[in-house]
Amino acid sequence: MTQMLDARAGKITEEMEIVAAQEHMDVEYIRQGVADGTIVIPKNKKRNRSQICGIGQGLDIKVNALIGTSSDRDQMEMEAKKLKIAEEAGCHSFMDLSTGGDIDGMRRQTLSLASVSVGSVPLYQAGIGAIKKRGSMVAMTADDIFGTIEKQAADGLDFMAIHSALNFDVLKSLQKCGRVADIVSRGGSFMTGWMFHNQKENPLYEQFDRLLAIMKEYDVVLSIGDAIRPGATADSLDEPQIKGLMVAGELVKKALEAGVQVMVEGPGHVPLNHIETTMQLQKRLCHNVPYYILGFLATDVAPGYDHITAAIGGAYAGMCGADFLCYLTPAEHLGLPNEEDVRTGVTAARIAAHAANSGKRRKKAWESNLGMAKARIALDMDKQVKLALNADKLLEAKAKEHYDQCTACGETCAAQIAAEYFGIV
Amino acid sequence: MSLLRNKALQGVMTQEIEQVAEQEGVSPEFIRQGVAAGTIVILHNSNRENVSPIAVGQGLRTKVSASIGLYGKNATIAEEAAKIKAAVAAGTDAIMDLSVSGDIDTMRKESLAASNKPLGTLPLYQALAEAGKKYGSSLKMTSEDIFEVIERQAADGVDFLALHCGTTMDIIQRAKREGRIDPLVSYGGSHLIGWMLYNKKENPLYENFDRVLEIAAKYDVTLSFADGMRPGCLADSLDGAQVHELVILGELVQRTRAAGIQVMVKGPGHVPMDQLKATVTLQKSLCKGAPYFVFGPLVTDTAVGYDHISAAIGGAVSAWAGAEFLCYVTPAEHIGIPDVNQVREGVVAARIAAHCGDLAKGMPEAVKWNLEMSQARRDLDWEKQISLAIDPATTRKVWKERSGDFSSKCSMCGDYCAMEIVSQYLGNNEQHSC
Repeated sequence: MTQMLDARAGKITEEMEIVAAQEHMDVEYIRQGVADGTIVIPKNKKRNRSQICGIGQGLDIKVNALIGTSSDRDQMEMEAKKLKIAEEAGCHSFMDLSTGGDIDGMRRQTLSLASVSVGSVPLYQAGIGAIKKRGSMVAMTADDIFGTIEKQAADGLDFMAIHSALNFDVLKSLQKCGRVADIVSRGGSFMTGWMFHNQKENPLYEQFDRLLAIMKEYDVVLSIGDAIRPGATADSLDEPQIKGLMVAGELVKKALEAGVQVMVEGPGHVPLNHIETTMQLQKRLCHNVPYYILGFLATDVAPGYDHITAAIGGAYAGMCGADFLCYLTPAEHLGLPNEEDVRTGVTAARIAAHAANSGKRRKKAWESNLGMAKARIALDMDKQVKLALNADKLLEAKAKEHYDQCTACGETCAAQIAAEYFGIV
Repeated sequence: MSLLRNKALQGVMTQEIEQVAEQEGVSPEFIRQGVAAGTIVILHNSNRENVSPIAVGQGLRTKVSASIGLYGKNATIAEEAAKIKAAVAAGTDAIMDLSVSGDIDTMRKESLAASNKPLGTLPLYQALAEAGKKYGSSLKMTSEDIFEVIERQAADGVDFLALHCGTTMDIIQRAKREGRIDPLVSYGGSHLIGWMLYNKKENPLYENFDRVLEIAAKYDVTLSFADGMRPGCLADSLDGAQVHELVILGELVQRTRAAGIQVMVKGPGHVPMDQLKATVTLQKSLCKGAPYFVFGPLVTDTAVGYDHISAAIGGAVSAWAGAEFLCYVTPAEHIGIPDVNQVREGVVAARIAAHCGDLAKGMPEAVKWNLEMSQARRDLDWEKQISLAIDPATTRKVWKERSGDFSSKCSMCGDYCAMEIVSQYLGNNEQHSC
């Protein structure tokens, strides 16, 4: 059974109860959402952990952080530190995107350390495994891919990004449309290289039922990877992206029919004026399942500050219905994030999520803003610290006694008179 | 002396119009029409020699302004001057000197000399500070004191003056009646309100508005109507007090334009995301298309320490909706006074927001810039990416620190570069230098 099948059978699971309590909502709303596929609860049957959260329509927007080793940097200890920092900063989930060193060991470390849900991109390990075992990524077999997926699912991953929504039809569009940046998804590029070299259709598309069987067995949330996402604002909403989204929609339908929890990954680089359309298209074509977006980056020109460009795009997308924001760090487009970048990235994504939650008048978000406004007027520093999305800078300033009293007015501050009038003293 | 706005109305192409048209890549006629209609202002005091004028308004690149100024006992002119340099280096379009204490006259002269960017001030601050010294209390400030400072600052060459002309007694009473959560947000506004309540007098800047216009006309200064009732938390956004003030400012915009003076309107503040567009639309409608100079807006109250990010979100959406001028917010907002580095961060965040708005509006320069960056990225041309970056120095620093010790050409994907793999199969690997 999956949460979705339970929900359809009218059964309320413990996870649904937890999500309902967190969101201050009726558990029946959650059950109905899971049954319909508008809400997912990532929770692998094999994995026990302390933190559960729901993602989807009518819920607070959630934030994901990325960690993982690479061929350039393979330090599991550093990744463990990042994981701790990201959880402290308030992320709701991780994706372990390891491509270097002991990928199995790294994944098991992440699963054991994380108290939130964990996702992965199994194609990375399958591709890198093929390089090691067979000398080349293009020598990877369909069994290699599905074997890796099964192994990772059995390890307890709660969600998996899988690049099924890519086929020759989509690639034909890509070849003829003249994109600026053809494919920026790493998994998408692995699969594209494999398909062209072998002149074979994408096994993750062709053998989608095989994939669904694994997802179902462990109740892994399938996150349909955005292989063809735009990597430049100039490429946003072009033909290949839309075709990819249509393929994703067909696959979503199959997943829903099979009782597999599913969400769809989204871009990428999207100018503000494309965001609402992007969101509506995804919701319509993909049957209202949750949309998990990378950014959106609202401009291409701010390397070093992409946590900010992503906060802009993410917040606006959140207003338009995006459910799950993958963080971006200041290192995006430039290198691998360090610990500080991870903290900054999570905080920026949480600001975006919170801005959208506030704009949508979500109760918890709205009340925290109101509480902060009142704490500011009351000069209640402890309460401000408590209500801050990330109190680190406030505490730093407090420690330095950065507060410089204004003395311009002389004996009686004019603003004080106004404060008395309004009953703020 | 003939005012810039009047010349535009008469069809005269001034040197300033020619200059800003060239900067913006539009025709001088476009600028002239905008100035005549009041949808564009050119920030330029006729008494100032070293200013390189900029234009703010409809159809032009969204601009940003950075605020500095003496505040508190520990502030020094040298440090504030260093902040001006940092803000200019980070790409600000204008500076505001918001000194509230210390040697405000000398600071202002330094601010005018430190860069050729248009300078704005808020004269009420100095009037309050001087009254505090002269009478022992700012509450004893006279209307005459206020106008004397306005004239002094205008004569010094300040290009735009922020004045709380629309904060009337009526509005103060409304704010109280309605139970505003935070009625005291604007520093100048709060003090002005206190002065009005204490002295039981109407706002002199409203009552004697013609005097404001006379001074502005003498030096051809652009007025920037400050909003004493800007919302200071999401819950107060678009309340009666804010909207009432906007109605009055709209009336004053018409009087200002009729006097041949350029005018823009300042805006919030704290605005929830669902009200950003409504706020800009309302300002545009009530203020007859006058440029909107928004402070942020911040889209959450709880991002203390990171308010430059919160402001970038609100600023970007507002710029897209039609706000033409963004006042920066630094990471020190709600905490303290920004240091040089926080000034730089604030300017860059505001510039990102402004640019996201311009891109969304399809402004040709913005579209071209993004396209060039994307091409440089596809080609893995690092030097070009850095030179095209909004803050090249930071981009280079982050690039070096986060990938300098790594072996592959681009450490994002290490040995598994998406672009490289795909380029082998899509036949465009000649573009790829990796």
